[in-house]
Amino acid sequence: MTNTEKKISGDVVAGVDVGSLAAKSVIIADGEIVGHGLIPSGFNSEETGKSVLQHALNSAGVPRAALKYIVATGYGRISADYANKTVTEISCHARGANFLYPSVRTIIDIGGQDCKAIRLDSSGNVVDFAMNDKCAAGTGRFLEVMSNVFKVKLEDLGDLALSADSIVPMSSTCTVFVESETISLIARGEKPANIQAGIHHAIANRISGLFSRVGIESDVFFSGGVAKNKGMRKAITEVLKVNIVEPTFDPQLTGALGAAAIAWKNAVREGLCQAA
Amino acid sequence: MSSSVTTAVKVNTLEKIRQALKERPAQIAAAKQKGQKVIGWLNYFVPEEILLALDTIPVRIGTGGDEQLVDFGGRYISTKNCVFVRSVVGLLGEKKDAYTPLLDLLAADASCLQIFRLAEVVKYYFKYETAILGVPRSFTAPEGRAYFRQELRSFVEQLEKFTGRKLAEDKLNSAIELLAKIRVTLRYLYEYQAQDYANLTWREVFEIVHAGFYLDRAEYLKLLQELVVELETLPVDKNRIPGLQPRIFLTGSQLSPGDVKLINIIEDLGGQIVGDDLWTGLSSYLDIQITAPTVDAVADGYLARVPHAALPYLDIGTDSRIKKLKELLQKFRAQAVIDHTLRYCDPYTFKAGETKDILNNEGYPFLEIHTEYASSDVEAIRTRVEAFLELVRTRNDVAGGI
Ligand SMILES: Nc1ncnc2c1ncn2[C@@H]1O[C@H](COP(=O)(O)OP(=O)(O)OP(=O)(O)O)[C@@H](O)[C@H]1O
Ligand code: SF4
Ligand SMILES: [Mg+2]
Repeated sequence: MTNTEKKISGDVVAGVDVGSLAAKSVIIADGEIVGHGLIPSGFNSEETGKSVLQHALNSAGVPRAALKYIVATGYGRISADYANKTVTEISCHARGANFLYPSVRTIIDIGGQDCKAIRLDSSGNVVDFAMNDKCAAGTGRFLEVMSNVFKVKLEDLGDLALSADSIVPMSSTCTVFVESETISLIARGEKPANIQAGIHHAIANRISGLFSRVGIESDVFFSGGVAKNKGMRKAITEVLKVNIVEPTFDPQLTGALGAAAIAWKNAVREGLCQAA
Repeated sequence: MSSSVTTAVKVNTLEKIRQALKERPAQIAAAKQKGQKVIGWLNYFVPEEILLALDTIPVRIGTGGDEQLVDFGGRYISTKNCVFVRSVVGLLGEKKDAYTPLLDLLAADASCLQIFRLAEVVKYYFKYETAILGVPRSFTAPEGRAYFRQELRSFVEQLEKFTGRKLAEDKLNSAIELLAKIRVTLRYLYEYQAQDYANLTWREVFEIVHAGFYLDRAEYLKLLQELVVELETLPVDKNRIPGLQPRIFLTGSQLSPGDVKLINIIEDLGGQIVGDDLWTGLSSYLDIQITAPTVDAVADGYLARVPHAALPYLDIGTDSRIKKLKELLQKFRAQAVIDHTLRYCDPYTFKAGETKDILNNEGYPFLEIHTEYASSDVEAIRTRVEAFLELVRTRNDVAGGI
């Protein structure tokens, strides 16, 4: 969505989501998405945040000075002097999903390091949530390790899992254990596709554990970078026995979009922007 | 102390309590020189009435928040024991704090079996003299009551032998009265801090409760009463504008003196803690009635309290712990509940799911935090608490929500 030709007038705000692996930014003008950016997270969250924001501004064709309000979220929100306000990724994913699909009541967010189960109401307010414990088991980082083990590009991992003719059960989702278990399965002659299907199911099972405390209600939305993995979408659909809303906008940008939506609301409340 | 919940008006008696606490170890050492015995006690059912009536000095044992003590303790007790128990084994083994070197005996009740195990371990490895008080699992049955009376009688006999004194009715009577007054005053302070414009925060009241683990109980009561009088004369604290902070109630595993990680996080992120039912907080001081100066009456009084979480109560619908929790939430005008569970503390982890369902149905958002004393999870907890406070702010329109 490049907007270099389109002239953007009116009020502009931004959301910036500096996650553990990727930084995302979305620009909203008069309540509409007009630009976005996505870059890997660097060591300096402040610089990463500013840089991804610039990418998004460029894609919208808007100068930085036009921004009325910035909300930062994600791990990098703790060093975001450029932002007017910081909000957690949990609230931002909820607002972001609600912005696009108001009927969503449950979100599964799988990012680089965390998985989250979020329940929300019709206004996009969080009513309950749960997060995984502090390890990479069953997250994007874990899938990255697997793509290395299988020498498959990350983007193709899901398709590999989809081509399985059976699912090899995995006994764990611990990154270290799965890596060694996988190596012995390959040695035993199991098909890579079937092992991958097993891994995707193991992750989906782990995610379903998060829902035992918060419950699940339709519609269900899958956000975060891992939502781009079709194999993961299928595994979650099968394990949780729910349909997942088909995304019409990059699901990895949901948190940044929510941050921008919150920025918009605050800017209107503080009289910096006119309600659209 | 990093805290966003502060009061502007200086409370002198609070400083006095802090000062008295500093002087307390030396005071105990001097009393010991004169022949008084010091009894450290653990958990929920050891009646201080008995310890005081036998002229011993009760010290409530257990600090938290120190990962090194957990590591040290873990060499003697299983690493699958709860963090608190491991840390107390470390504390009692290292003897580097001001109180453990002064102990003559360790009294522990077996409400939580991990505490029972702790007593066994410190007796075996560190040669502590111990007295164990059995606690019935079927605490509502007549057999349970008879058992506890019998247990307390044997406990008293053991301590009589140990101190060379006989339990006297008049002394027991004054101890019962003294402790009853302390409880009334602490309950008042809890209610006071939850009011708008109060000059004490929950955190300060919690600190005052912990001071009472160590201070001479008669002196403690005097200080508490002085505090109440002072609070009545102070101007209202206009700095604490009501309605700007989410009102949070803490439940779950104990937060012992020194275990401030979660409290700091909640306060740093702008939450106002307004109450708790922790056994290191309010719950030890609730609903206890001792109707006569006898051992049996003491036993009955303790057993009839809100039960410790380690005691099984299968029907959650009639569990008095939940009923009490709901009552306290209303009393303190809490908007949401944070449930703290320490790693491997089964008693409190046990019913968290059902408790959450029940409180959600009553309209209270509920956040479970599982943690330990190491600081490695601070960021993860911050994110959860921050998101939870955003939820409460939005839901209750606290300062406009997010
Ligand atoms: N095209 C793709 N196909 C499959 N997976 C992808 C794709 N693009 C990104 N990912 C996955 O998305 C993950 C990053 O997602 P995201 O940007 O949501 O994480 P994050 O916000 O940085 O992490 P967290 O929220 O845990 O801090 C990567 O680990 C990667 O596995
Ligand atoms: S109740 Fe929990 S924290 Fe207390 S001793 Fe037992 S297991 Fe440990
Ligand atoms: Mg993320």
